Amino acid sequence: MPRLGWGLNLCAARRLIMAAEIKEAPLAREKESVDVPWNVIAHNDPVNLMSYVTLVFRQIFGFTKEKARAHMLEVHQKGRSVVWSGAREKAEFYVQQLHSRQLLATLERAE
Amino acid sequence: MEFYENGERLGFRNIPPVVAELLRQIPRWVDGDCEAAEERLFPAPSGDPDEDTLRDDWKAFVQPELHSLFQSARDTVASDLRGLRENGEEFDLEFPRQHAEAWVSAVNQARLALAARHEFTENELSHPEPLEINSERDFALLQMWVYDEIIWRLVHLLSD
Repeated sequence: MPRLGWGLNLCAARRLIMAAEIKEAPLAREKESVDVPWNVIAHNDPVNLMSYVTLVFRQIFGFTKEKARAHMLEVHQKGRSVVWSGAREKAEFYVQQLHSRQLLATLERAE
Repeated sequence: MEFYENGERLGFRNIPPVVAELLRQIPRWVDGDCEAAEERLFPAPSGDPDEDTLRDDWKAFVQPELHSLFQSARDTVASDLRGLRENGEEFDLEFPRQHAEAWVSAVNQARLALAARHEFTENELSHPEPLEINSERDFALLQMWVYDEIIWRLVHLLSD
């Protein structure tokens, strides 16, 4: 199977180029992306099996079976679950990993 | 139909002909001609209106990799399916254990594409009742249940 990763590297490279091109307030932009924690949100969908979602959480985040199941149930019952928080680039990586397993996932700024 | 493990091989034996045909269709469901299926298989990474750049970059750089990854899984399954062999009136199929992840991916792609095409509700998917097949939609729902069974068995195997 092909490996993932180049796409995200290209995304990051393009952002660096864009940041370099923005002459005004570059520090503010950089500070925002560094300081603000980002959440990775897993969203509910009626199609993916609960056992599959639990397995994916275990494989991607290294959760215990119990923790993975708790997040899966939160997704199922509340429609979404914050499955990871931290740096923006890592959040993008995890969203890509979840998409590669066909789970609905987005990243958003932590409140 | 019986699922079995035999060392480094996995397999299904006594596959009814209709289920064998449904298996053969697994790699064909994601063909890019259904917008709803494409949207489900390749979702946006953010719903934030300020994240246009991320969405554009995702489409340009990340989604092609996902396309390639998903195609690779479907190719693996298509190759394994060429090993479907007749056993009396039924069929048997065996494939390497290391293909289990590819099978989960390809079967799940087929499920998501089918569900998006036919807009199945959660109720339809989670409360299967004896099915009368009177339409293409009914048949697709039967297909979903067969694929659910395959995924469930493979996930159980991978979870151990």
